[in-house]
Amino acid sequence: MSSHISLVILSAAGTSRSEVTAESKDPYTRREAHPVCRRSASAPSLTRALSAAVVLALLVFAPAISASAASSASGDVVLRALREEMERSKAKLKMDDVPAPYYIEYRVTELDQFEASAVFGALRNQQRNRGRLLRVVVRVGDYKQDSFYGSGEGTLDLVPSDDDVFAIRHRIWLATDRAYKAASEALSAKQAALKQLKVDEPVDDFAKALPVEAVEPLARLSSTDFTSWIHLLEEASAQYRTDKDLENFESSLRFTVENRYFLNSEGTIARSGHAHYVISIAGSTQASDGMLLQRSHADQGNDLKELPTREAFLKTTARILETLKLLRDAPVVDEEYRGPVLFSNDAAATVVTELIEPNVLGRKPQLGENARTTGKWSSSYKSRVLPDFINVFDDPSISTLSGEPLFGNYTLDDEGVKAQRVSLIEKGQLVSYLIGRQPIRGFPASNGHGRAAATAAPAPHPGNLVLQSTDPQPDAGLKAKLIELCKNRELPYGLYVETMGPRLEPRLLYRVYTKDGHEELVRGGVFGDLDVRSLRSDLVAAGTKPAVEDRSEPVWFSVASPALLFDELEIKRSQATKQKLPEYPPPTLGAAANQP
Amino acid sequence: MAPKGAAFFVSPAPVHSRFRMNYIKAVFLPALLVLVALLGQIALLHAQKSPAATDDVLLATMEKELHRGQAELARQDPAPYFTSYNVTDGESLFIIGAQGGILSSSRARHRSADVSMRIGAPALDNTHDQERFSGITSGQLPQRDDPDAIARVLWHLTYEQYRKARQAYTNVKTKTAVRAKDEDDSPDFSQEKPSTYLEKTSPAAFPEQTAWEELARRYSASFRQFPEIEESMVFLTAVRSHSYLVSTEGTKIVTADAVFRLVIQAETRADDGMQLMRVETFQSSDPTKFPAEAEVATKVKKMASDLSALRAAPLAEPYSGPALLSGRAAAVFFHEVLGHRVEGQRQRGRDEGQTFTKKVNEKILPEFLSVADDPTLRTLAGTELSGFYRYDDEGVPAARVEVVQDGILKNFLMGRLPVKNFTNSNGHGRAQAGLMPVGRQGNLIVTSSKTIPDAQLRSRFIEEIKKQGKPYGLYFEDIQGGFTLTTRDLPQAFQVLPVMVWRVFADGRPDELVRGVDIVGTPLTVLTQIAATGDTTSVFNGICGAESGSVPVSAAAPAMLFPDMEVQKRKYGDARPPILPPPPGAMDDKGGAR
Repeated sequence: MSSHISLVILSAAGTSRSEVTAESKDPYTRREAHPVCRRSASAPSLTRALSAAVVLALLVFAPAISASAASSASGDVVLRALREEMERSKAKLKMDDVPAPYYIEYRVTELDQFEASAVFGALRNQQRNRGRLLRVVVRVGDYKQDSFYGSGEGTLDLVPSDDDVFAIRHRIWLATDRAYKAASEALSAKQAALKQLKVDEPVDDFAKALPVEAVEPLARLSSTDFTSWIHLLEEASAQYRTDKDLENFESSLRFTVENRYFLNSEGTIARSGHAHYVISIAGSTQASDGMLLQRSHADQGNDLKELPTREAFLKTTARILETLKLLRDAPVVDEEYRGPVLFSNDAAATVVTELIEPNVLGRKPQLGENARTTGKWSSSYKSRVLPDFINVFDDPSISTLSGEPLFGNYTLDDEGVKAQRVSLIEKGQLVSYLIGRQPIRGFPASNGHGRAAATAAPAPHPGNLVLQSTDPQPDAGLKAKLIELCKNRELPYGLYVETMGPRLEPRLLYRVYTKDGHEELVRGGVFGDLDVRSLRSDLVAAGTKPAVEDRSEPVWFSVASPALLFDELEIKRSQATKQKLPEYPPPTLGAAANQP
Repeated sequence: MAPKGAAFFVSPAPVHSRFRMNYIKAVFLPALLVLVALLGQIALLHAQKSPAATDDVLLATMEKELHRGQAELARQDPAPYFTSYNVTDGESLFIIGAQGGILSSSRARHRSADVSMRIGAPALDNTHDQERFSGITSGQLPQRDDPDAIARVLWHLTYEQYRKARQAYTNVKTKTAVRAKDEDDSPDFSQEKPSTYLEKTSPAAFPEQTAWEELARRYSASFRQFPEIEESMVFLTAVRSHSYLVSTEGTKIVTADAVFRLVIQAETRADDGMQLMRVETFQSSDPTKFPAEAEVATKVKKMASDLSALRAAPLAEPYSGPALLSGRAAAVFFHEVLGHRVEGQRQRGRDEGQTFTKKVNEKILPEFLSVADDPTLRTLAGTELSGFYRYDDEGVPAARVEVVQDGILKNFLMGRLPVKNFTNSNGHGRAQAGLMPVGRQGNLIVTSSKTIPDAQLRSRFIEEIKKQGKPYGLYFEDIQGGFTLTTRDLPQAFQVLPVMVWRVFADGRPDELVRGVDIVGTPLTVLTQIAATGDTTSVFNGICGAESGSVPVSAAAPAMLFPDMEVQKRKYGDARPPILPPPPGAMDDKGGAR
């Protein structure tokens, strides 16, 4: 057979040819598409989001970064290279017939990441990626109207991971040149497009911001010997042996350190370091009717020390296995249920993440659209969007909430603006949005929420988004309250959601019987009407203790919520999860002699 | 079958950018992504145990699970009539350097599996026509030799592939019932004798990552002394793998491969915005045979001086007249113009242009030219050939195919997809991991019985220019690659991408370098016009892309004289050269901070 050289050359000709390469070849990671990471004890699902893979793919990298370089700001070669190119570009970058840039921004993301996964007890992959990604934005025009449009939104490049000033500057130089040329074309294109559109109340393209200097310490991976972790992945995923009906069982980890540099021509210089460690277990099985059942759990921390011990992780694994078995034998939900539903704090955190987070982002709508933002609450400013006992705020300055660690902590955002606590919803009324430096109507300045993945332009994202009740109910009493609501409506049972999966589908869902309060696990339920409207109209009570959901896509952020009780939601039978059972049984297991 | 508008191309570099200098956005990042996607779930560090050919857990597990699946699925209706497992188990090292710094460096271990399955009968199965891609499902296997885990993943891939094939077979039956009969009603799968081959090789030496990083630093730093070169990159690639294939027909093959490649690429721009590029490639199956540093330094210097000369060179004008192609240029020309059109599957299918389908036993070249594709050749003219392999990706032994004998078309490059009058594979069914093999080139070799010494060929060329009353002819010294279109709904065109083209004047003035030349034309007319060839064979090693992915290929030919070649002006961007000069400090001991 011929050797398979693993590089495809993309046809430079731009002619279409069969696209053959980009699709994931791994059937085991396809199914989950929910970039959720969660920590609370009963819950979860970690998934590798595609865009993360993309970023990492750009950074397949391994040579050592010299350790001495970055310990102090003055000896930081990346910082020096960025400063020197910034000075030069500010002073001299100018084409004939094109205005000089009024704003230049450099962002370097230095990534060091170790990833590994094991399936059915055997290592499938392990990978260490290191690299430095550069993003350059050059703006021509002025704050009112500039070139930030299409190709003018920035250029991307890799810069060397060696601390070599010239080699780094060389790539910054070329990227800046490309960004400036793209900006001048983008401005013309934008002006041409605007001529076709009627804009009622023009909003500035870019907000002014004060220059800041904040050079924080760099972060480093707290260990580089991952052997024991790989063994743990293999040991955990080897537990599939106890259940012959598992379709998939795998365990994975991702340890990430990100150091970010940010400089702009206004004088802002920022450097910060963050670390994130996550280990997860995921399994799936099919019920006898073919319904696909999935469970997963992730544990994470800002330090390796915050990850669970081997024993704790194996215990979690056992619990995942156990719930998969229970689910397989659980009855399917009734054809239709309409009535009270109680979400555990853990499940509620998912609901808040899915339904509230996207709608409090102050994103500028497309050119020519007159809406205030792009979310469902774009015309809800100063209106009631939630019940009057609910407050929601975002606070990037906190790193724990009720003892739970949060991952959306930062000092400056990715546009160099100081992070601010923003009160978003007060007594149910929407009073603000999360804003970066791209203003929206009525919000001319950033509130420190311009955040970005390494490859993307900054946009509003939360840091730590917290939902709280002004009338917190004791958590222990919420099930009684659920039963009471059901009794009032003469329902034999209410529903309790312990954890949620992707697409707002419940993973662990229980009937709570009104007559004696006993709980029964059911499977195959999906919500008919869980949306922002139901949050406003059907939410009747909230608990006390928050659970935190952490997401790593597109930026790290956390969302906290107490348990939530709805007086009416519809749950129906899922049609989507039915699959055929395998045409033939799995291979029989050999002796476990070759286990690690 | 080729998708609509399929283009095929060959390039010497792992990264090929012609129309945009902005490699990072246009090519480089996608290429890296693709690399990563292909390596899939990569691993690095130590390969625990180098993959051995025989009595290994992987091979035993593959066989056992294949046969278990076959027995189990035989009870299904419809049952598959063919199943195979291909596994590529290898490691790779990929390093990119620029200006003395490492942009990317990864060491990976990969073990990827392709499960192929056919339902129906060889005459008509699930892979018919547009459903061809239903023949294969891919995934990543565990790297650790755990038979239970490997078997489970294979099981999963197998029943998923069964479902895919079954659905496709239903579609095929429906479509066949309602559509007009195909002109070529050849079967979908050829009958071949099973092969057994277990290659026992001690694995090729594998370079140390840190040592190669240092090489990438040094080689890429040598461009620091040429500030007029805008972008330059050095790519170092090492791949060593074992390929396993077992099928329900009884084929069982293990082969070992290793390839080590150094590609140096440099680009600049003329003042009018035209992008100019030079690429140098060194390739070997033995990393210790890499060129000495002095040799690399000389090449770098030559690339820099070529680019400086190209920057200053006048633009080519549209031209029709005598042209002389160097051996390398002629080799790429044949790969594009002839090679892709004699791939078997292009002779059937409603979308194919079928240039040569009905020309078998007809004259398509001057009688002094013959063309063979011979993947069994390891070296030619002292050069290692990229297109060498022992068995193709369908497990058929590689074989020399006489495509054109004395100008007469004789044969096509066949995988296991038959075409009218060509019922069997000749060992050219090739694909990159994860894709369905089709007939592809290996080592395409053009030979001539009418050679004249290379020096005399030039005089012949000048005579021809004078005879036609032209002021000059064009000499194509080097070519960076090309592409071709073979489908019906697009022009049957080809282009090769010349980089070093000279005007050779009738009046004896010194040759003049020109830039921005593209050869254009239609295949049938151009080929018949070749007037004479030189006496030295040159080899072009490259990577060829088509519907079954990227495969390494070689093309070899002597220099050739074309009495009438048509060239056009190359389209080019209008982006100016960089506004600011490069940053200072290029020669301060690599920046001073290390």
